Amino acid sequence: MTAHDMPKAPVIAEVRDLRVQFDSKRGNVHAVDGVGFQIRDGEMLGLVGETGCGKSVTGRAFLNLIPRPPAKIAGGRVLFRPRGGAPCPDCAGEGCEACGRTGTETVDLLTLPPKPMRAIRGARIAMIFQDPGKALNPTLTIGAQLAEVFLQHRSEALLAEAGVSPEETGWQANALRRMAREEDRWLDRRLKGLPPLSSAAAKLDAALDAHVAAALAETQIPNPARVMRAYPHELSGGMRQRVMIAQALACDPDLIIADEPTTALDVTIQARILDLIKTLQRKRRTSVLYISHDLSLVRRVCDRVAVMYAGRIAEIGTVAQVFADPRHPYTQGLIAAVPRAGTGRGHLASIPGSVPELVDPPPGCRFADRCAHVMAECTRANPVAREVAPGHQSVCFLEKTGQTAAPATSEASTT
Amino acid sequence: MAMTDPILSESAAKVRLRRQGEVLRSLMTNPTTALGMIIIILLLGMAIFAPYLMPPNIPDPYQMPRDWGATRMPPGTPGHPLGTTNQGGDVLYGVVWGSRSSLQMSLIVVSVTVVIGVVIGSIAGIVGGWIDEALMRVVDIFLSIPELIFALAVAAILGPSFTNIILSLCIVFWVKYARIMRAQIILIRQSDYVQAARVMGDSRFNIFRRDILPNASTPIAVQATLDMGNIVLVGATLSFIGLSESGIAEWGVLVSEGQAGIASGRWWASTFPGLMIFLWALAFNLVGDGLRDALDPRTEGKR
Repeated sequence: MTAHDMPKAPVIAEVRDLRVQFDSKRGNVHAVDGVGFQIRDGEMLGLVGETGCGKSVTGRAFLNLIPRPPAKIAGGRVLFRPRGGAPCPDCAGEGCEACGRTGTETVDLLTLPPKPMRAIRGARIAMIFQDPGKALNPTLTIGAQLAEVFLQHRSEALLAEAGVSPEETGWQANALRRMAREEDRWLDRRLKGLPPLSSAAAKLDAALDAHVAAALAETQIPNPARVMRAYPHELSGGMRQRVMIAQALACDPDLIIADEPTTALDVTIQARILDLIKTLQRKRRTSVLYISHDLSLVRRVCDRVAVMYAGRIAEIGTVAQVFADPRHPYTQGLIAAVPRAGTGRGHLASIPGSVPELVDPPPGCRFADRCAHVMAECTRANPVAREVAPGHQSVCFLEKTGQTAAPATSEASTT
Repeated sequence: MAMTDPILSESAAKVRLRRQGEVLRSLMTNPTTALGMIIIILLLGMAIFAPYLMPPNIPDPYQMPRDWGATRMPPGTPGHPLGTTNQGGDVLYGVVWGSRSSLQMSLIVVSVTVVIGVVIGSIAGIVGGWIDEALMRVVDIFLSIPELIFALAVAAILGPSFTNIILSLCIVFWVKYARIMRAQIILIRQSDYVQAARVMGDSRFNIFRRDILPNASTPIAVQATLDMGNIVLVGATLSFIGLSESGIAEWGVLVSEGQAGIASGRWWASTFPGLMIFLWALAFNLVGDGLRDALDPRTEGKR
């Protein structure tokens, strides 16, 4: 399981046999059906698949954002090992089953109680949403929304900068503490502008503003001080996405879930936002789960790629492995479907058929009825992952029989 | 550019003021809304300055003063520019002090019903489950009876008085706010920015306070403005059919007391108060419609 082109970094997050089902009128929709992968510290993992293949649901599972009901977690775990975490309480750093033999404290994000979950959200794991126009509150200024992250997770630093020491007691220090944690009461807000509270409160506001401006500057936003005072509708789509990125990176998280962060943007802006994410990710060595339906984007920015189809992983490996030697017939079809400069007019490749219904699906490979290599056993049993190269796995029966799928281009129909 | 930029040096309070200024400008550029605003300002001025415009000469200024020497005088009579009623009440006095009654009635009813509706709607929307079901079925029952008939029934049970009219309107008018609030909460809760706030590690209370409440307030504010007009309309109707004290300076009462004279040509005692009811309801409806367009940041610049 070693990725051969990079040193073996510790596994920061791991999805194990995740199963998410949605109750619908027609039956149980198996949206995610036994997905498993690992994210290593500092790597960018691309999660690719068509609309409705379960990639967003998988991403949201990291932040416990799956709405339950209607969804239910039918099984599996989403494990997270924060950087610099405490030793595992079960084995005191020896390495046991609970911590995956790493000796570091490991939490299951799916069963974590609300309070520790809130401490992780925004500080350890952050998310960039698809449509920045919808992910910003229209009634708050950019500055007020960014301030939220710092008030939730950086109250101590803010208080220190405002000159309130942790030992200090008395009503003034306590009022400031409540302000820095955004637990301020009605009376605190009234007294904020009056002496003796006003000077310390102004320092607190200045510290908060400085943090917000620094976070915005990080994403190369010109004139952060101006943007802070603007409302979301006064900014362009690209600027809003920069604000979302600033918000996600504000507390220097270990893992960022980027759910199609460039899909809602103009093509010209897309490239710049993508480069920005990549640059910041390299600089801070943040792990990123990059969810996208666009193979070419993933190829450009990711270290490894997992291809999802109908709620399952089809193939996973480094970008070099998967794009040079796609093993799963679905991956081959996807790569062949990306138009190239040489593609003639009217010759756009596609995979025949469409994504199967996920309502109470029968056993067997989900791709069987679209696959050119379908065999008898494909519809009888679920295929298992097989290692085709170190770190490169394909979930297909072809690997067992030793056959290799023929070159992708002949498989894809031309229309 | 940086130093001359006006937005740069703004404080948070100024930012809010700028947004309010934008809303106001957007309101005033719409001619019908501007007309409504002007009428409202005039009516409010009349209500506020009533003691100076029409100084009362009796202890209770809300009672119509009687001038038994000058009953049934037509408009234009010296000292009684809008004429007098059968009982010698000055119609102008009734019109001016009636605006005060209307303002009291609509302000009390709107503030009470908004609070009740928002609280009940929030409970239903946030808690959900059987509490939501129970509250919404109660709302359904309330909504199934026409406002006017319901208010009439309640006011009739309570007995005829101006206070009881206000009370009955409070009992009737909260349901719409509960409905709107619940729908807004359910809608906003699924929005990406609430998800984003959760992703930042925000508490449920802060999400409610900063994300849900301000965004839900737009339709509430619009409905409240429209209700400022509707309440006076319904309240005047209740007064008109005799569910208020007789002889008070209230438009519905004045229309009611003047209607007997219409057949004998004494049109003024009913017409002027009736006109005021019409203007009041019209103005708040115009502004309510304008507000709907102006308060939504997304519709900005479309007109």
